[in-house]
Amino acid sequence: MEALANNLQVLFQGLALGSIYALVALGFVLIIRATNVVNFAQGDFAMLGAYAMVLFLVGLPGNADLGIPGFETGVPYWLAIILSVVVMTLIGLAFNYGVYYPLRNRSFLPVLISTLGASIFLQNTILAIFNPQPRPLEKLLSSDGVTIGGVFLDSQYLVILVFTVCAVAFQYFFFEHTLLGKKLQATSQDKDMARLLGIPVALMIAITFIYSSVLGGMAGILIAPILFVSIGMGSIIALKAFAATIIGGFGDVAGAIVGGIIIGVIESFAAYYISVPYKDAYAFLALFLVLLFRPQGIFGEKVSEKA
Amino acid sequence: MRRLSFSLVAAALLCIPALAADPIKIGLVNETTGPNAEAGSYTVNGTKLAVEEINAKGGILGRQIELRIEDNQSTNPGTVLAYSKLTGEGGITAIVGPIRSTQIQAASPTIQKGGIPALVGGTDPSLTKVNNPWIFRVRPNDSYSSRVIADFGVNSLQLKKWAIVHSTDAFGSGGMKALTTALQSYGVTPVLIQGYTNNSQDYTPIVLAIKKSGADILATYMTNSQDLGIFAKQLRQLGVGIPWVGSPSIVTDTAMKLAGPALFGTYAVADFTPGSGAEAKSFAEKYKAKYKLDADVYSSWAYDAIYVLKNAIESAKSTEPEKVRAAILAICGWKGVEGLYCFDKNGDGLHGYNVVRNENGRVTYLKHIDFKD
Repeated sequence: MEALANNLQVLFQGLALGSIYALVALGFVLIIRATNVVNFAQGDFAMLGAYAMVLFLVGLPGNADLGIPGFETGVPYWLAIILSVVVMTLIGLAFNYGVYYPLRNRSFLPVLISTLGASIFLQNTILAIFNPQPRPLEKLLSSDGVTIGGVFLDSQYLVILVFTVCAVAFQYFFFEHTLLGKKLQATSQDKDMARLLGIPVALMIAITFIYSSVLGGMAGILIAPILFVSIGMGSIIALKAFAATIIGGFGDVAGAIVGGIIIGVIESFAAYYISVPYKDAYAFLALFLVLLFRPQGIFGEKVSEKA
Repeated sequence: MRRLSFSLVAAALLCIPALAADPIKIGLVNETTGPNAEAGSYTVNGTKLAVEEINAKGGILGRQIELRIEDNQSTNPGTVLAYSKLTGEGGITAIVGPIRSTQIQAASPTIQKGGIPALVGGTDPSLTKVNNPWIFRVRPNDSYSSRVIADFGVNSLQLKKWAIVHSTDAFGSGGMKALTTALQSYGVTPVLIQGYTNNSQDYTPIVLAIKKSGADILATYMTNSQDLGIFAKQLRQLGVGIPWVGSPSIVTDTAMKLAGPALFGTYAVADFTPGSGAEAKSFAEKYKAKYKLDADVYSSWAYDAIYVLKNAIESAKSTEPEKVRAAILAICGWKGVEGLYCFDKNGDGLHGYNVVRNENGRVTYLKHIDFKD
């Protein structure tokens, strides 16, 4: 009985962390599909979302060296989330026009380097504005969680699971059943063809950046009460999320979600049954095995050359 | 004649800077950026507080201290580079930092080559036992922290079934090994030893293992405050309430802020405790007044390091590396904010720890345990 409860506990943690990887991986995939580029700043969107929450819930500590004044805020949690989503929208837009757009006609490498630069820039900007102290963030619900049959269900993890299911459902509906979603899909499949059909490609890509920025930001907002708000929080998640996109099938939406959850569950169980210090290794061992035996990923199609 | 007087003037001019008492340069290898930037900012605070105090009182031997801060980006290669840069530029009397054992290990050959005293804060016992005459430690090493943890748990709390949770980095593994050895001297073999890598996001498997082991006391060597915060919360959520004695990181300001009530009631060994003595109390007050933050170990060790250097340079009446080195080794019986300094032949300055308790978010001083050897 206790063994069952322990296994369920481990499964629950794995699913919840896997959901966070999945949300960030989803952001990766959408940008890969729209621009053929891996956005190395995807994890930093999560970090920015969490810091936006700190900004609205608590305030700014201020930095005398840079002449940034400190102030206190204290808006309600729900409003802080809405404001943070607005901030993430603006960041997505700025990212599109500042990091991607000027290089859109270049090969993928300059864009890749550009996103890497953006990642370093964002982390150090936040370091300068907020001090390097990691901060706690309140949970969305006032309850810490419930214990059912010896399994502790953290309320924040429950919120994460519910949000991920909703986000996936919304995404499915949006891409398959709305005109805008179909235009976005058309853009990601063939930009030239989309342009010929009168779809404003640049606008579609801007929307994609906004969407992945908000998605990444939400992942950060949701996980921050568990992992705390820190400059490096995004990089840790992004590495796993990136592995998830490869396991799922590079550029495949369903694959990103399944890949994220697979990684979360594998590392959770490997840590429980085999070894805690090497738990990261198991996630990447899974990645290695997928690359070896099914290089296109679980959901990926075999494409020899994308002409 | 003209030429002679010209040379005399030139010689006189060359001497002027020296006569005007050029500053004593002290380097600080610090984690200004990177994952440990938070701790690094406290170290800078503590160092600057000491330097400003000394300079305001006329400096050392009538010379002002000039602080040269070099960022190590919280990495090993960064530390090596920072040390090469500081030792290479010449004119630096001594270098303080860093506090991470693994970084000091990496920089040890560079420190040896540089040939100037390095005052470090890493607590891995082996750091001062590698025949490097230039490394001095201004914190008690982990063989003491682990001996104090073992002594307190076995003798004061009377508990014998130990679980040890440790980070797998140099600090965590070093602490775990030393604690296991210390426990053996009391005839205790831990029922669980569990490592984890820094920045793990989930500690459920560890908590479940502690539950399964039937341990009645938990000892930890954890490096990052985030990791500690997540672990502490999950430990309480899954209903583990056994006494917990931690390494100094569990009473840092940040760890206590992040974990909140999850750390209430825990014990820790601490090298810096405001309640442990008059020096510590006065430092904590000055620090709070200046930075609006509570002083912690990251600031206190660096503060002491600067004063250790001041004492050494003053008794050596020189900034020559060899003489300063001998003078540091001769310091015995000087009370800093971290405790009573008495350098042994290895270069270890402190030989004991305070035991403290987190009482509803306030660190209270319980006792000081010092060892002679």
